Amino acid sequence: MKLWYLAVKDLRLLLRDRMGAFFVIGFPVLLGLFFGVIFRGPAAGGGSSAKIDIVVVDQDATPQSQRLFAELQNNGSLRVDTADAEQARRSVRRGERAGMIVIPAGFGAAAGLPWEPQPEIQIGVDPSKGAEGAMLEGMLMQAVATLVGERFQNPKEFLSSLDRAQQSLASADDVSPATRLLVATFLQQVQRVIQAADELQTSRDGQEHRQHFQLNLANIRKIDIIDDAAPSSLAGQLQKVRSPWDISFPQAMMWGIMGCVAGFSMSIARERSRGTLLRLRAAPLSKSQILIGKALACFLACLLVMFMMTVLGVALGMHPLSFAKLAAAGLATSFCFVGIMMTMAVLGKTEESVAGTGWAANIVMAMFGGGMVPVMFMPGFVQTLSRFSPIYWSIRGIEGAIWRDFSWSELLPAVAVLVLIGLMGTGVGAFVLHRHRD
Amino acid sequence: MLVLDRIAKRYGPVTAVRNVTLQVRRGECLGLLGPNGAGKSTTIGMMVGWIKPDSGTVLLDGSPPDRTETRRLLGVAPQALSLYEELTARENLRFFGQLYDLRGEPLRERMAWCLKLAGLEDRADDRVQTYSGGMKRRLNIAVALIHQPKLLLLDEPTVGVDPQSRNHIFDWIEQLQSQGMTIVYTTHYMEEAQRLCDRVAIIDHGELLAIDPVPELLARHGGLSVIVGQIEHVPADMDLPGAVTDAGWRLEAAEPFESLTQLTHRGVRFRSVQIAGPDLETVFLKLTGRGLRD
Ligand SMILES: Nc1ncnc2c1ncn2[C@@H]1O[C@H](COP(=O)(O)OP(=O)(O)OP(=O)(O)O)[C@@H](O)[C@H]1O
Ligand SMILES: [Mg+2]
Repeated sequence: MKLWYLAVKDLRLLLRDRMGAFFVIGFPVLLGLFFGVIFRGPAAGGGSSAKIDIVVVDQDATPQSQRLFAELQNNGSLRVDTADAEQARRSVRRGERAGMIVIPAGFGAAAGLPWEPQPEIQIGVDPSKGAEGAMLEGMLMQAVATLVGERFQNPKEFLSSLDRAQQSLASADDVSPATRLLVATFLQQVQRVIQAADELQTSRDGQEHRQHFQLNLANIRKIDIIDDAAPSSLAGQLQKVRSPWDISFPQAMMWGIMGCVAGFSMSIARERSRGTLLRLRAAPLSKSQILIGKALACFLACLLVMFMMTVLGVALGMHPLSFAKLAAAGLATSFCFVGIMMTMAVLGKTEESVAGTGWAANIVMAMFGGGMVPVMFMPGFVQTLSRFSPIYWSIRGIEGAIWRDFSWSELLPAVAVLVLIGLMGTGVGAFVLHRHRD
Repeated sequence: MLVLDRIAKRYGPVTAVRNVTLQVRRGECLGLLGPNGAGKSTTIGMMVGWIKPDSGTVLLDGSPPDRTETRRLLGVAPQALSLYEELTARENLRFFGQLYDLRGEPLRERMAWCLKLAGLEDRADDRVQTYSGGMKRRLNIAVALIHQPKLLLLDEPTVGVDPQSRNHIFDWIEQLQSQGMTIVYTTHYMEEAQRLCDRVAIIDHGELLAIDPVPELLARHGGLSVIVGQIEHVPADMDLPGAVTDAGWRLEAAEPFESLTQLTHRGVRFRSVQIAGPDLETVFLKLTGRGLRD
């Protein structure tokens, strides 16, 4: 029971601390949304670079349906014509066109209003061109989403909103130098990731995709794109990705967890410098209880971050394949990072030194482990190095549950590595703290 | 209640506490009086079990203070403020109360009592970081009382507190003591020790120089009273005892009133006279050869 009170106190302190709460909650959410938008392009693109001939039947004839038509025309992968329904059907049947899209009457009135019943947009596809049909569906969704979510169309807008967040952080007087360094590093990484995503995109299909914020506001079913890439290749892995959040949210969760690690590893030093550690030590508590209370608080905070990000991800259209496996990966990840927190906590004496080493270690782990650029986008030799980062195993476990479709035995190695790191970290932390006399 | 037996603590070349032996009796208020760096806080630290003595033993009601259950008897207000600044006074009190297994109605009662004591009832739900120094100081003591300890250790509780709050704190200490609480009170203000404490231990350079009730300390080490004054007239044939300087006339005497009466009898007239009895300052001076503030 006392452990619970200790943990509740720590969670309350974490949420009251503006910076701490930002790194645990605000930062991961921003990151998840931001990278989701960035990876939208490469993750959802198809394989073929040939243009698809389609025909559009506009039964609505409103400005909104015309915008949708224009949006489809703007798509570099499509060649778009108009016709009436009968002509369209005939041309698809004859194989002159790969598919047709019927924009129903009433589309314009309901578009973008999620509470309105959405009239069905029909897609007719030449059955012999199944892959193209699926791509067409994806592109149609993109086009609709663009229409609806134009505000989010431009990732630079996201960047500038992050910039504003950073400026207000920089002008806040209680920001430590370590934090400033961190934010600067983060922005550099963002730039790098945008570039990486851009390069990837152009190298994959040699054409420009616009990056769209996808909202599930239209009444269209999505179909997986099947092609014959090797499962371990980048393209093969990406085939399983069903939503941009599949990649960005596991990463974002890790940043939230790193925020917890940084926050709680500092909190032991902070209790020391604020003198509250003395009071805890004067209370009828054993040293182990004080330590376990900290660990419990960190564990709960990590789970909370993962839960929150999962809820947000699901709300945005991420569909974890197995919640049970996600829970297992989440528990193992939280335990692992509790261990890392305990070790970091004893590395430095003062809040500043702990914060500094903590974030430095976090950034290195994140960089190699896929917390910034997903591991599958890294060059081969770096991917080997990644195995040494706990972040790698965490993301692997989480992705295994969300979209990689791991079986329990495939999930086991990641969970085992995480638990092992957690045990080692807890052991080191407890050992060092117990040896300290005061 | 609390027994220190030849405890010692060194920090590298510095001996913070040197073979201190003393007993705190049930129900008394014991003062630890000494200048900065005398070893008062180190002694308190060893009493609580924060600091492990290099040698010697500490026994609280017969068992060592680092035993979890023994610590329930103990309430400590550390010299440095030790509060969660991001939490409110109420949250601080509730949290520490919970650590002592207080729950529900008893906890609420204790919290209300502590808030009243600290005079923080109308600021109870503000974060501690928004308090003034004196308010924090008062809460720092109140938190030590949440679980109604039998032994209260106060390490310089009045530093940075205005005279009014200071008097308020003295009032509580007297009240707590009258309710049977045992108190150890460290200070470098002799007036505080003199007013509050039944016995005073004088400490310097880690050594316990004397421990006695205040009147006995004064009688044994206080020496003579001092008379200072301005002289208006001295008879021509008289040899005035004492010393005359620019500041006036000064005389040390065991029986100051006697001496003054005699002098008036012999025709000396005074414009003003002040008598200062021996105080703990003089006791300290006697024992260490230097003033408390040096
Ligand atoms: N952690 C420590 N490391 C090294 N030296 C210490 C430590 N704590 C105390 N000392 C030394 O021990 C001596 C006694 O310190 P202590 O804090 O007990 O004095 P004090 O009587 O409480 O003084 P003050 O009135 O200033 O609070 C001092 O010389 C101090 O420098
Ligand atoms: Mg002290």
